[in-house]
Amino acid sequence: MNPQFLADGILTGALLGLGGVGLTLAYSILRFANFVHGDFLTVGAYAALVVAGALSQFLGGSGIGPFSFGWPLIVALPVAMAITGALALLLDWLLFRRLRRRGEEIVLVMASFGASLAVRSLIEFAFTPEPKYYSRDLQIAMPLGFGVRATPDQLAVVVLAALAGIALHLLLTRTAMGRAMRAVAENPELARVAGIDPARVVRATWWLGGGLAALAGVFLGLTVQIRPYMGFDLLLPLFAGVILGGVGSVPGALAGGMIVGVAEALAVPFIGAAWRGGVAFLLLLAVLLVRPQGLFGMER
Amino acid sequence: MTGTLSYLAFFATEVLVNFIAVLGLNVQWGFAGLFNVGVAGFVGIGAYVSALLTVPPWHGAPGPGHIGGLGLPVLVGWAGAALASAASAAVVGVATLRLRADYLAIGTFGIAVALHELAANAQGLTGGPFGIAFIPHLLATVPPGGLARGFLDLAITALAAGAAWFAIDRITAGPFGRALRALAQDEAAAASLGCDPRRLRIQAMALGAAAMGLAGAVQASLIGYIAPDNFVPILTFQIWAMLVVGGVGSHRGALLGVLAVWGLWSAAGGLFAAILPPSMATGGASLRIVAIGVAIAASLLWRPRGLSPPGRIVSRFLR
Amino acid sequence: MTTLAVENIVAGYEKGLPIVRGVSFAVAAGEIVTLLGPNGAGKSTLAKAIAGLVPERGGGIALDATRITAPAHALVRAGIAFVPQTDNVFARMTIRENLEIGAAVLPRPRRAGRIAAMLETFPALAARPKLPAGRLSGGQRQMLAIARALIPEPRVLLLDEPSAGLSPALVAGVFSGIAAIAQQGVAVVLVEQNVAAALGIAHRALVLVEGRIAHDGPAPPLRDGKLLARLFLGRAEGAEAA
Ligand SMILES: Nc1ncnc2c1ncn2[C@@H]1O[C@H](COP(=O)(O)OP(=O)(O)OP(=O)(O)O)[C@@H](O)[C@H]1O
Ligand SMILES: [Mg+2]
Repeated sequence: MNPQFLADGILTGALLGLGGVGLTLAYSILRFANFVHGDFLTVGAYAALVVAGALSQFLGGSGIGPFSFGWPLIVALPVAMAITGALALLLDWLLFRRLRRRGEEIVLVMASFGASLAVRSLIEFAFTPEPKYYSRDLQIAMPLGFGVRATPDQLAVVVLAALAGIALHLLLTRTAMGRAMRAVAENPELARVAGIDPARVVRATWWLGGGLAALAGVFLGLTVQIRPYMGFDLLLPLFAGVILGGVGSVPGALAGGMIVGVAEALAVPFIGAAWRGGVAFLLLLAVLLVRPQGLFGMER
Repeated sequence: MTGTLSYLAFFATEVLVNFIAVLGLNVQWGFAGLFNVGVAGFVGIGAYVSALLTVPPWHGAPGPGHIGGLGLPVLVGWAGAALASAASAAVVGVATLRLRADYLAIGTFGIAVALHELAANAQGLTGGPFGIAFIPHLLATVPPGGLARGFLDLAITALAAGAAWFAIDRITAGPFGRALRALAQDEAAAASLGCDPRRLRIQAMALGAAAMGLAGAVQASLIGYIAPDNFVPILTFQIWAMLVVGGVGSHRGALLGVLAVWGLWSAAGGLFAAILPPSMATGGASLRIVAIGVAIAASLLWRPRGLSPPGRIVSRFLR
Repeated sequence: MTTLAVENIVAGYEKGLPIVRGVSFAVAAGEIVTLLGPNGAGKSTLAKAIAGLVPERGGGIALDATRITAPAHALVRAGIAFVPQTDNVFARMTIRENLEIGAAVLPRPRRAGRIAAMLETFPALAARPKLPAGRLSGGQRQMLAIARALIPEPRVLLLDEPSAGLSPALVAGVFSGIAAIAQQGVAVVLVEQNVAAALGIAHRALVLVEGRIAHDGPAPPLRDGKLLARLFLGRAEGAEAA
């Protein structure tokens, strides 16, 4: 077996984990499968592209050290996260909030499916379907031993994704807002009588979910390319990872994403690179049949 | 004059093909409250299965190793299409229907994505991105292109749609439909009367998908050519928009919805083509999707019962 | 000194289907009022309505003679604490996290002190603060739920069947704890099926039948059981007549 595939799988898995965390939080706190989440990745990637493009006039366009990106993209990253979080809140305010009040989960899923198409097509309209790149510089993959090669950007992405995962874990376990989010996910009614304002938790969830999706989107754009369908194409593996890890579990989403990413990569030598959706789908079916509550989930 | 007439025939044909799929979705969502995000996948299964069954063995083989068609009669292809769609829907149903409602959404979404991938990559079976051509027409005696062919297509589609409508109306008005309605009103009561909710839902999934598969097969034989990109999420979305706009739970409302949405879709296409410069044609196509996305979201917010609210039969999710 | 006044409250889950149909009573500081009644009478619904979880369709509540209408989470800050009948702890969180959630409504400097005070009051919880609440025994769970509710030092404590599923010895322990809480000046509303235990500590008893108050009086006379049986049965006769 070629360890290079494993390395590629870890990179994909890190991105899926990061994207899946926001999805699993929204799923457990807002209580619906949000089909716009994939497009949040795309929005984040394009927002960073625009902001970094504007900044490169002032901050210079060349990369730092061995990396292809420079200060413009580093500054653009938090801005893109904020823009995506704000878009998530806007969608909630326009659409989801009203439907939630009617108490029909599945209508929310449908509305999110519609919103997903609209957002994606707006991006396609604004930026054309042509792929874009943060940098035209070609990166040389460095040998890491055992025949594995990776570009500096890829290494940076894996490290940053791991750091983001740790930060999120601390946020959820050590801060009052994090505990409030977990409380609402577990038992919304008890959370209210414990003094937690559900509206604040909902807002925090959208900020966090949107922001993390943007982070994953920028990393995806950095290591692959930026396309209007980049996030939507990831939605099925994202869902598979979230369900595999157990809906609502943040460590589960990270681990589930990693498993899906690695499984896709390991399947490549046998069935080719074009089958990632099929692999994710089979994994999803297997989990639903064998252990529907997921690896880290509890019976619901 | 002939141009207008043949456009009208084409428009009506498209409306009726879509109507068949909307009927299927109405069984799933309107009667059984099942949320299917993979409509395009089930339509696609129908199209590809019918093509593989009916394409003559010596045609449509784009390269060596192509598994090729069986050259069976077109009607056999259509029946096979409905069966194959129903079977794949049942598989997803078995896996997801004992779980939360939105797992079905994710499962159907998954099967649509996986099938699109299969269609696009399994060169030997599906022709890959080039698709399958030379799919036989039901009555190949009339040459394509003319007005006569347009009306022949319309007549064939009308017959297929009428048959599907009749069958589904019969089924949903009979004991099966009554059981579904009882289930929608009070699951516990229905279960205590001897309905097995999970089994009923799997049956509804399969019946609905059969109609979708038939729609795909009819479309494939009219056009004679299919490719993976005919079966993408926008198709799912159009079918949903038609159902929601028309009024969930009523078959006649569904027809109205198809007319309204397909009319809007075509008009928006014409409008964007007229006002946008040709260089922005792809942009116009995107805007059209945005428009329909906004329309469906708005109708969920303000008209959850659709244009033509049915009598008593309302999905329990849209009160 | 009336702490909680419930004024002609009407509440239910769906419009036009009131479960609680015009109930009034008052609870003084330090007083324990027990709310009794047959299954389905609407006791839990009444408690939830006071806590702001079930929409009030009429009437209202006053705390210290001030009318309050607020969403449930704001009522907690106003001084009304509620311990639900079921699922009353966050099972996937640790004991300590459950208490921290209760403390989050307090100003930051007071939080640690209140949590420490509760762990002192309920030593069983102090032993393993990192244990997930879902792994506690029924009695420990009930204590954790009450401790969580008491952290913000509420003026009113609403308890919905705290004895459910507890052994008689544990019931005695929990109820003497409740009596001690009332002695510190908290107005306690105790919904109970365990009539004997509830009447043992209550000052006053209300009997709720079909959403209305069928009896309101001192608790001691009800302890011999005959009057109470008549009140509960009176509902059955009434139902047949209707
Ligand atoms: N969430 C709910 N939605 C709709 N109706 C409810 C709900 N909860 C309770 N009810 C109805 O309200 C009525 C009163 O229920 P409630 O729980 O208040 O009774 P209770 O007096 O607490 O009974 P018990 O002693 O069994 O706890 C019952 O008829 C019940 O069916
Ligand atoms: Mg009760």
